[in-house]
Amino acid sequence: MNCEKTREKFADYLVGDVDEKSLAEVQTHLAACPACRGELESLSAIWTKLGVLPREQPSSALRQRFYAMLEAYKEGMEKERTRASFGQAVSRWVKRFMPRRPVYQFALSIILLASGLGGGYWMSSNRPAVKREITALKQEVNDMHGLVAVTFLQKASPSDRLMGVNWSSRIAEPDEKILQTLLDTLNHDLNVNVRLAAVDALYLFYNYPQVREGLVNSLAQQTSPHVQLALIDLLVEIRERRAVEALEELMQNKKLHSRVRQRAEMGLAQLS
Amino acid sequence: MDPLEKGPTVDETSDNHLMEEVRDGKVERLAVLFERHQIMLYNFFLCLTGNKSSSEDLVQDVFFRILKYRKTYQGQSKFTVWMYQIARNAHVDHLRKQKQEVPLEGQFEEAQNPDIDVVERMVAEVDVKLLRKALDKLPLKKREILVLSRFQEMKYKDIAELLGCSISPIKTSVHRAVKDLARIYGELQGGTP
Repeated sequence: MNCEKTREKFADYLVGDVDEKSLAEVQTHLAACPACRGELESLSAIWTKLGVLPREQPSSALRQRFYAMLEAYKEGMEKERTRASFGQAVSRWVKRFMPRRPVYQFALSIILLASGLGGGYWMSSNRPAVKREITALKQEVNDMHGLVAVTFLQKASPSDRLMGVNWSSRIAEPDEKILQTLLDTLNHDLNVNVRLAAVDALYLFYNYPQVREGLVNSLAQQTSPHVQLALIDLLVEIRERRAVEALEELMQNKKLHSRVRQRAEMGLAQLS
Repeated sequence: MDPLEKGPTVDETSDNHLMEEVRDGKVERLAVLFERHQIMLYNFFLCLTGNKSSSEDLVQDVFFRILKYRKTYQGQSKFTVWMYQIARNAHVDHLRKQKQEVPLEGQFEEAQNPDIDVVERMVAEVDVKLLRKALDKLPLKKREILVLSRFQEMKYKDIAELLGCSISPIKTSVHRAVKDLARIYGELQGGTP
């Protein structure tokens, strides 16, 4: 075995994956070749050192975050499953009662149509109960959207966080946690596109005092001209008077982008 | 060998079986896989990024992606190969976001071992620090292959499957990576008093 062939075996040698025949051949060569012997010794030494390098432990936050994510995912699945199994049960039930002959099928559909119309008329007198049910269903959908939104907003990848912002805009009545998560995203997300999307989503909830206050306070925290412009537009649009002070403060910043300054001046004129 | 001995037994606690259960809807089984692999994955990312909090984010991201793509799991290759494929993609996305690498040095906590005396511990710490510094100086590709084969104890054939190439370039890369590491480590040792 020559030097080249011997050195080809070194990677296997390090992990201890050499058959007896090759091992004998390598060792014969090593005994006669100080250069190869020297190299293998140096490789083995560093390989061993690598093996005893202590493993680092992640913080306990990692485990907490994982289990929170898993729970949220399971809840989302559970809700979907309930809805799906209800749908399957209904279709099985309908199948059992469906007559075979088309004539009867037609007759049945006429009867169903008539009873539907009649039922609808009758239900209009019982409206509060129906309304309550619909409200409960809406709330359930709302909660699920919120759960998904918050989970996505805490993800590492910007595209997932964008999806989170997208989900949150589907919520009809967001709770305090969702609003706060959106505001945190607006203030602290590293990605400009995600922050811009958060401005759009928050626009939908400008009626909430927490959001109005958060938007005003956020102006001083933004460094990207894009986000600053979007925020100014929004504050002017919702005619938030408290923004006047924040805008004046913003204009004192000498490094402010000229377009932002222009828009802030216009905004001040519109709000004052 | 008696063929009966090699019957189609299913190891219910194997990674592959657990992941098949996750794929089929028992998502709570992912917790077992998380407990098994989180530290290895964390150390894998730590060697690549040198940043503790990014590494934790990346581990979380990997398990999130596993849930997201669970239905695409085929079970033909080893679970760890599939998981590290996801991990590598997550890391590429992370690099795209970061665009710059943070040096490993100073990111690690000091190793504490009460069994050896202070002087020995200091020597060991210097050693660990130097080795990590040397590792950090290796190009990313070599570092990755080395971390997979040495720390994650992945077989060359699994690394080859993961990286989509044959075994022999993997062996060459490992050989070169260890050789380079030994050289850098030696240089660093020469540079310290």
